Amino acid sequence: MSDAAHPARGPGDRLTAHFWRRPKLLTLLLLLPPLLWLGVVYIGSLAALLLQSFYSIDPFSGLVVPEFTLKTYGELLIPSNFDIIVRTVAMAAAVTLAAAILGFPIAFFAARYAKGRWKAVFYLGIMLPLWSSYLVKVYAWKLILAKEGIITWAAEGIGAGNLLNAVLALPVIGGNSLSTSYIGTFLVFLYVWLPYMILPMQASLERVPTSMLEASADLGASNWRTLRSVILPLALPGVVAGSIFTFSLTLGDYIIPQIVGSSRFFIGQAVYSLQGTAGNIPLAAAFAVVPIAIMLVYLTIARKMGAFDAL
Amino acid sequence: MTPAVEFQSVSRHFGAVKAVDRVDLTIAEGSFFAMLGPSGSGKTTCLRLISGFEMPTSGAVRIFGEDMGMVPPNRRHVNTVFQDYALFPHMNVRDNVAYGLMVKGVDRRSREARAEEMLSLVKLDGFGGRKPAQLSGGQRQRVALARALVNEPRVLLLDEPLGALDLKLREAMQDELKSLQQRLGITFVFVTHDQGEALSMADRVAVFNEGRVAQVGTPSEIYERPATRFVADFVGSSNVLAPEVTEAFGGPRAWASLRPEAIRLVSGGRVRGTVTGTRYLGAGTRLEVRAGALPGPPSGEHDGGIAVLVPAGAAVPAVGAEVALDWDAAALHVMGDGA
Repeated sequence: MSDAAHPARGPGDRLTAHFWRRPKLLTLLLLLPPLLWLGVVYIGSLAALLLQSFYSIDPFSGLVVPEFTLKTYGELLIPSNFDIIVRTVAMAAAVTLAAAILGFPIAFFAARYAKGRWKAVFYLGIMLPLWSSYLVKVYAWKLILAKEGIITWAAEGIGAGNLLNAVLALPVIGGNSLSTSYIGTFLVFLYVWLPYMILPMQASLERVPTSMLEASADLGASNWRTLRSVILPLALPGVVAGSIFTFSLTLGDYIIPQIVGSSRFFIGQAVYSLQGTAGNIPLAAAFAVVPIAIMLVYLTIARKMGAFDAL
Repeated sequence: MTPAVEFQSVSRHFGAVKAVDRVDLTIAEGSFFAMLGPSGSGKTTCLRLISGFEMPTSGAVRIFGEDMGMVPPNRRHVNTVFQDYALFPHMNVRDNVAYGLMVKGVDRRSREARAEEMLSLVKLDGFGGRKPAQLSGGQRQRVALARALVNEPRVLLLDEPLGALDLKLREAMQDELKSLQQRLGITFVFVTHDQGEALSMADRVAVFNEGRVAQVGTPSEIYERPATRFVADFVGSSNVLAPEVTEAFGGPRAWASLRPEAIRLVSGGRVRGTVTGTRYLGAGTRLEVRAGALPGPPSGEHDGGIAVLVPAGAAVPAVGAEVALDWDAAALHVMGDGA
């Protein structure tokens, strides 16, 4: 073209112009790879899993019978299996609650008070543990918590040995040593998943404008009242987001309870052993569906409670 | 009568920055008081010193005679309408308005009834069930107002209350705020950078500049008799005349202010000059006139020439035209030597 104001400059320009006139085509092209990944690889395998859970295993041949049945789900209700579910859910709930309580002040400080260099220190402090291998951390904790470990040593050093023994003597959560008790499992879970609670909390707290806290104080509210009526409700989406991480990660983990804790199974371990040595894929699939179902219920409740209203 | 608010040599420093520097101020009970100034002049910090979100580095802030040195914001009988309104997004309008009462422990039924009363005061009857996000800017502003008034404060603080509204709404809200203040009879203190807003609403205006109060007075005092060059220039952008120029214009050898609207175009006036620019303002046209034969630049800070306001309807000379300027001798307001 001889139009001096807008000279054509080659195929790249023509392509740009083409997309500019059809923005939907460009959006589609950009979305196609992730949609394929999400749809086929991710949702697809989930669907296959769901399908497997409706099959059953022939008790004599040990082969999978590809016929629709709810028998496998029924097996989840057998006391020995149901205990695994209760144990895992209780642990996940405890870890989530503790992470929220422990993480909130840290997130609050980082969101409201940390500036510049301190903010960097905060991010480094939160992220640094994530840079090292998960297995290394878990084994390190096993040593820390062991009977010959630093905690026992320190407790005896300051004369709190009896206190530690009293804690370990508690029924259910106690044990021979911290590294073989539920307390130990809990501590390691808490340590490993805490960053996943703090970061979304901090993000949601950062979005609460200072003027809103000032408005609350201006209207006569004490700090405690402001926390309860303004900060917590506004930070709730972040707390829920964080709890989704800590809750579902704990529900699915099979390494930590294997290394630290009593030898009783968690859901992840059950799935691992069922699909491996036992070859009972349907029951493994049914077990794997449990965390998904629990998360769906959890999200529905959170939504009903208005956790996402302030988004 | 004890003043509603009193500043006694109040300073607030942020490190080396003197945001507020030895300010003395008295705000009478029942007045509509404006703190006017450009951004960074210390007016908002002064407002926050009253609400308690800032503590003075030195000096004392008193509210109804009581030193506020140790009183936190939630224990002060003042309430604030925030610049961004700061409505709680997770509560509906009624709960927002009733928040101050809820905090005090008023039972739900009475506080909701009271909230509805406040909403009808700001003409938002029936909006109680909505969320702030469902309201327009002007409606949100009214909710913020109702929420601040529900605790029956003796002093209401307003931080740039109309800043986020469009022109038409701003004018309507100016009238409404004014009549609300007269009806309630409580002290309103508001911060603004808009001199028109300050002049039209307030009984008294404090003009702030660089952390200090440049002048306190009624709107007409501020406008007609600016105390300093800064006030003359900031309020209504007057012609600020350097001493030599004042002398040449027939006054004493001192800084002076000459309002653009006080200058008339005549044939054969006091000063002759050339029109160097015109700016159409709707209600009139502002001319820049460069006067010949003047000792030095005519204005103090900016030597853009002499500003002349030609009222609408009058003939506007073209750029380059020769004009003669005249004014009443009384219009030449001689100021103290202040900055």
